[in-house]
Amino acid sequence: MKKTISLTVNGVERTAEVEPRLTLLDLVREHFGLTGAKLGCDVQVCGACTLLVNGKPISACSMLAVDADGCEVVTIEGLSEQNKLHPVQEAFVEFGALQCGYCTSGFILTAKALLDETPHPSEQQIRDYLAGNFCRCGCYQEIIQAIKNVGSEA
Amino acid sequence: MKNFEYLEPTSIAEACALLKQNGDEAKIFAGGAHLTILMKQGLYQPRALINIKKIAELKGIRCSDAELSIGALVTHRELETSALVRDKFPVLCEAEREVANIRVRHMGTVGGNLASGEPLTDLSQIFIALDGKVKITGPNGERTIPVQELFLDFYTTSLADDEIITEVMIPLLPKKSGIEYLRFSSSSVVDKPAVGVAVRLTLESRNEMIELARVVLGCVGATPVRARRAEEILTGKRLSLDSAVEAGKAASQECDPISDLRGSADYKRAIVGTLVRRAAVKAYERAMRN
Repeated sequence: MKKTISLTVNGVERTAEVEPRLTLLDLVREHFGLTGAKLGCDVQVCGACTLLVNGKPISACSMLAVDADGCEVVTIEGLSEQNKLHPVQEAFVEFGALQCGYCTSGFILTAKALLDETPHPSEQQIRDYLAGNFCRCGCYQEIIQAIKNVGSEA
Repeated sequence: MKNFEYLEPTSIAEACALLKQNGDEAKIFAGGAHLTILMKQGLYQPRALINIKKIAELKGIRCSDAELSIGALVTHRELETSALVRDKFPVLCEAEREVANIRVRHMGTVGGNLASGEPLTDLSQIFIALDGKVKITGPNGERTIPVQELFLDFYTTSLADDEIITEVMIPLLPKKSGIEYLRFSSSSVVDKPAVGVAVRLTLESRNEMIELARVVLGCVGATPVRARRAEEILTGKRLSLDSAVEAGKAASQECDPISDLRGSADYKRAIVGTLVRRAAVKAYERAMRN
């Protein structure tokens, strides 16, 4: 019943033997020990489990691991280089764009995908792209400011 | 989630054969946006999933002189950002901006959206208003039906157990045509729509009389419905605010909404009336310019 899949996770080639029912979120958390992405609503609404698959944000709670066979997956652990944070991470720190941090990896990865697509987004574009990420601490203003700040840099 | 077998055919014929072998115990798996939720909740426990994402023929958006063709595997996001779609049917790009959230739009496919029979959705209303057709392949060949005929009841389509949606075809609009789609979400912007209304109008070539009207109401019944009475009210005359209001009133009586967390049935009927009026005015403006 198990399938062997190979995928790139944060730039590293990985293979895994998985049951088809395993979600991508469980694969990265349980098999690869990358626990930055969190399980929230479990129905693709909240964004806490967001990962980038081939550069695009998806809900890892609802993507099958077997479906990620051959894909390039980026988790929050893959954003910083050595000890240098990604600009979006820096901005989240600078603007205080988090409190409990549960939603943060999802927000940062989604923001990265937006900035890769649209390097200088308008506030409306930021709001539209991130409309499906929920922060129950209510840091939305700071989050938008942080992303705007990164997007305004040359 | 219960375990299942994961099959990966590389052609439509192979996929149909696998469906036939497994009867109603197998399900086509495309984006998975809808199916994985049902499976995690235990509402659906297939013996096998048939992943069709390796079938190249099901991908891509094309346009001929006569119609736009959208492959079943085209994602919501592809539709939203396609230059071809923006050129021919900008209404689809605008509607897609509001479908669920960016993650679901990256995963979910047009074929899956239709095949789910989900009543709280957007695309089907627009496709029906545009006289769209859906191409279906089964073991005995291909058939093409109007999108309207795909939907039978809540989460129930006319697809047989061994059939696959392969593409949606939308005839290009004649000159002097306009369409508008309006959706209303009663809680947050990323919620499913409480009401979704598409109005498409085509005017006579020599004057501004409405020759053809389509008024399609979604989310307010088991399937999307055409508001035939509202269409009659609009047809054969120029649009006036009065006729738009009257069409809205008629449409609000031509649906069968349920009361739920997104609003009472009466509330949704009132919303239908307003959206039909607004969409008719917008569609008419666009038709005059085209």
